[in-house]
Amino acid sequence: MVDKSMGSRIFNIFLYLFMAVIIVIFVFPFFYMFSLSTSGMKAIMNNRVTFFPVDFNIDAYLRIFEYPGFFQAYRNTIIYTTLGTFFSLIMMMLFAYPLSKSFLKGRGVILKLVIFSMFFSGGLIPNYLLIRNIGFANKIWAILIPFAINQFNLIIMVNFMRSIPEDIEEAAMIDGLGYFRILGWIVVPLSKPAIATIGLYTAVFFWNDWFNAMLYLNTEQRPVMMILRNIVVNAANAGEAQGYGERGIAEMASKSAVILVSVIPIIVLYPFLQRFFVKGLTVGSIKG
Amino acid sequence: MKKRSAFRRYWPLYVMLVIPLVHFLLFKYGPMFGAILAFRNYKPGMTFGAEWRGFRYFEIFLKDAQYWRAFRNTIVLSLLNLVINFPGPIIFAILLNELRFKRFKKLVQTISYMPRFMATVVVISIMATMLMPHSGVVNKLMGTNIDYIGNPGYFKWIYVFTDMWQYTGFTAIIYLAAITGINTDLYEAAKIDGANRFKQMLHVTVPGILPTMMVMLILNIGQLLRLGFEKVLLLYRPSNSSASDILDTFTYRLAFEAGSTNYSLAAAAGLFTAVISTVLVISANAVSRKATGESIY
Repeated sequence: MVDKSMGSRIFNIFLYLFMAVIIVIFVFPFFYMFSLSTSGMKAIMNNRVTFFPVDFNIDAYLRIFEYPGFFQAYRNTIIYTTLGTFFSLIMMMLFAYPLSKSFLKGRGVILKLVIFSMFFSGGLIPNYLLIRNIGFANKIWAILIPFAINQFNLIIMVNFMRSIPEDIEEAAMIDGLGYFRILGWIVVPLSKPAIATIGLYTAVFFWNDWFNAMLYLNTEQRPVMMILRNIVVNAANAGEAQGYGERGIAEMASKSAVILVSVIPIIVLYPFLQRFFVKGLTVGSIKG
Repeated sequence: MKKRSAFRRYWPLYVMLVIPLVHFLLFKYGPMFGAILAFRNYKPGMTFGAEWRGFRYFEIFLKDAQYWRAFRNTIVLSLLNLVINFPGPIIFAILLNELRFKRFKKLVQTISYMPRFMATVVVISIMATMLMPHSGVVNKLMGTNIDYIGNPGYFKWIYVFTDMWQYTGFTAIIYLAAITGINTDLYEAAKIDGANRFKQMLHVTVPGILPTMMVMLILNIGQLLRLGFEKVLLLYRPSNSSASDILDTFTYRLAFEAGSTNYSLAAAAGLFTAVISTVLVISANAVSRKATGESIY
């Protein structure tokens, strides 16, 4: 089984070296943020930080407490992610379950409408005006409600529910359960892998969004990613004006701390959720 | 008679459908009808515009040199991205598959999927820090003082590289799944025929995932006009606009940048892009179905 020729060994050496480099490329940007955020202000200003922290300290993380609006924004993000994902999952379940029943009249038409809307959308401006004109402007509904149904995720869900054996539901029906109870007591528990996958995608969508928040919400309602967006855009404006001023460099530590703290939940939860989405992706490859 | 009993039996399923269906139609099909604004002039508070203007708005932007610059930038950026980031995940998946040490393989996979879950704005802000003039790690190592992001010449490489960093690992999952489906007897037979590992990759693995590659290629071509709008918007600076203004940011600026806010014009530009894009996706999908018998939809 194991090929022990010279060529194979050399190939292996290069392969493992290459993969080690890949790991460094993926990990280094985060490590660099860590180094900047834990380095002394003077060390950063004198341009002494290359790879590792210089004059190690955690002041930048303590200064986050004073970062304008950071906690407000973090709280907003947590609220949007929790409520948005919850609402989205409920809508997807209620939509996907009837659509998974091939005997249901009208199912074909609805599925065609779903698929067409994946090809074609009205575009940014009609969407924007619609959300404003139904009165969602400056209300958190603008973030929570319009994006609840994602067509790709819906198709994954429908396909998953179709793979649940009919007999289980028939048995429940003989026991006198209606469709709502079958959905809640039988189908939802059996769909856990698909729900976990879709829930992960949806939560990541809400956690990472700033664009919709920028369009529809006011300053106090903005999520943490909006702070990052402002860091990027302001740094650019400062850069255009005066070639990245000293102040900008001095703030590097706290900016890096903000960036790292904003991704911590994803980094922490990610390893636990990983097994679900790999499974979910293969579920999604079944044709809709 | 039979119809009625079917409805009596299945009515809870229809009840279930009502709320999600209304939501879906409102938020997905509502904007499609709202796109009629492209042919009507906008008045505040009126989603569908005030009066008909025919194709006037289309004529305005189609005569605009900036629109064509955005069109060219979109195509150039997409093609470059396709040429580099289409083969990337294939090569990565094939090499991953060659890792015999399972735990190391798992580690590489876990790490390489993660950037897919990072916000674009996180990736760009880290990237911008690394590329800072003078003090950024890249300039420091090279001993240079280049403003990479503000320079239009670097823009497309930054775009392509961040895409590679963010999506190579995740896209490779699809190819790894295809590789898992290859019959192991084929490798045994190749070995008996004296094929070394490189030849096995070339003559067994690659042909084995060829159908998947075809589908992915055709679908990527269908997505040519759909670039990462959010990312380009974050990287956009007046100083690099000659390379970084794409169709989506052009439309966005028409609608939201101070001084313009011409919703009808922006809706027209957006609709035009959406129609071309839809034609591209549907034809790519049709080609895929004909050529390989497979399609996503």
